Amino acid sequence: MDSLKIEPTAPGTAADRTEWKFSEILADPEIRARWEKVRNYFFLRESTYDMTNRCNIRCDGCYYYEGRKQFADENKDPAAWRKLMRAEKVRGITYVVLAGAEPSLVPELCEVCHREMPLGSIASNGLKRIPASVNYKIHISVWGNDQTSLKVRKAPNMLRKQIKNYKDDPRAVFVYTYTRENIDQAHEVAEALSAQECMLTFNVFSAPVGYEGPLRHTAESLGRTRKSMIELLSMYPDHILFSHYNVVAHTHRKSLHDLYACSYPRMNPSTDIGLGRSFRQYRADLTWDRDVACCVPDTDCSDCRHYAAGSAVVTARLFRHASSPETFKAWLDYVDTYLAVWVMGYEKGPNLTRSLVPPPGQALF
Amino acid sequence: MLDRRKIEDITLHVAQIMIEELKLEDVTPETFDPEIDLVDEVGIDSMDLATVALVLRDQYAIRIDEDDYPKLTNIRLISEYIDQKLIEKSKAAAG
Repeated sequence: MDSLKIEPTAPGTAADRTEWKFSEILADPEIRARWEKVRNYFFLRESTYDMTNRCNIRCDGCYYYEGRKQFADENKDPAAWRKLMRAEKVRGITYVVLAGAEPSLVPELCEVCHREMPLGSIASNGLKRIPASVNYKIHISVWGNDQTSLKVRKAPNMLRKQIKNYKDDPRAVFVYTYTRENIDQAHEVAEALSAQECMLTFNVFSAPVGYEGPLRHTAESLGRTRKSMIELLSMYPDHILFSHYNVVAHTHRKSLHDLYACSYPRMNPSTDIGLGRSFRQYRADLTWDRDVACCVPDTDCSDCRHYAAGSAVVTARLFRHASSPETFKAWLDYVDTYLAVWVMGYEKGPNLTRSLVPPPGQALF
Repeated sequence: MLDRRKIEDITLHVAQIMIEELKLEDVTPETFDPEIDLVDEVGIDSMDLATVALVLRDQYAIRIDEDDYPKLTNIRLISEYIDQKLIEKSKAAAG
């Protein structure tokens, strides 16, 4: 089992160098191969869409039911969604994330989106199976064992129902959200999912603005989360889509914004290029507001360790990670994980490093 | 003071790198319009531009700030930026 340690750096070795050319980093065949693999997906440009303002459960700490977006009127007209998707394609969007509040309640709209935009993912609680014709990745949220789900989400036998709906479904990735209260339950959930050949990745609870409830992490709970993630990654490498750099990025005492400078419009005024230019977060009435646009609106940015945020924020920071082979390997592992979690048909390779590499310019934790 | 000939050489070289790295078709370094907007008209995104910036950093042995490259949205701007960095580098070397 892995332990929490930093790989030692021997003085005078390659790892001791402070300046690396990009070409020197890519001279390593293993790095070069992974780089060529992931860069094929640089064309992905995402936006996200709230599909409905309804949900069939109500979870403590749910970011959807914070802020104004929950009050948007639903647009249930397939033609309006088709028109939006076509306009999004013209705008250069190549990937859609269907989220809030529960997209499985409007499968006909998911179908419309998929017909127009072949690449995407859906965030779902997994209680209602989405038709196979919607060939997007489906992220099924898990917030602990069934006792905890009953308490926090008021839904009985949740994991059992989720597995029943999505076992043997290549679209499905179960997303275990570590809260301050469910860290120890991750082992039994991972065991249950791996026994059913289900794929799992990790999220870290990120408090909505103003939330001070018991799910919010502390430095102590982040440390325990880190240890749990590393143990599970070692125990179930074939069923867990994660890397050691994911562990570092998502359990750091600093938020993703503080570590990497979030590139979503809400925190990024620049419209020069990248997410600040192209990303939109549509409400269920098909309007959007640049001032609140990010993948998890109404989340407290100073507490954001959300897996969806990291998938864009860390991935976008290619330039600063091309500083040494070890740092670049860590970034490649992160991007490889992101693509396996979010893109249908993408197969994750083995992680290139098991070192706990600090984010560029930051302390390790 | 910009050295026009030097800038032209850099422009051709940058265009060459852009074509190779981004596998652009139907364009040569000589026909690549240095004023064309790489984002709006060529469709280059931030990851592409970061890749090109890393290659340029290697080839010219200059320091490129992470905050700078997103603003370099055409080849003329990139070439002038490189030229400026080379001037700064040679001044620093001269002490």
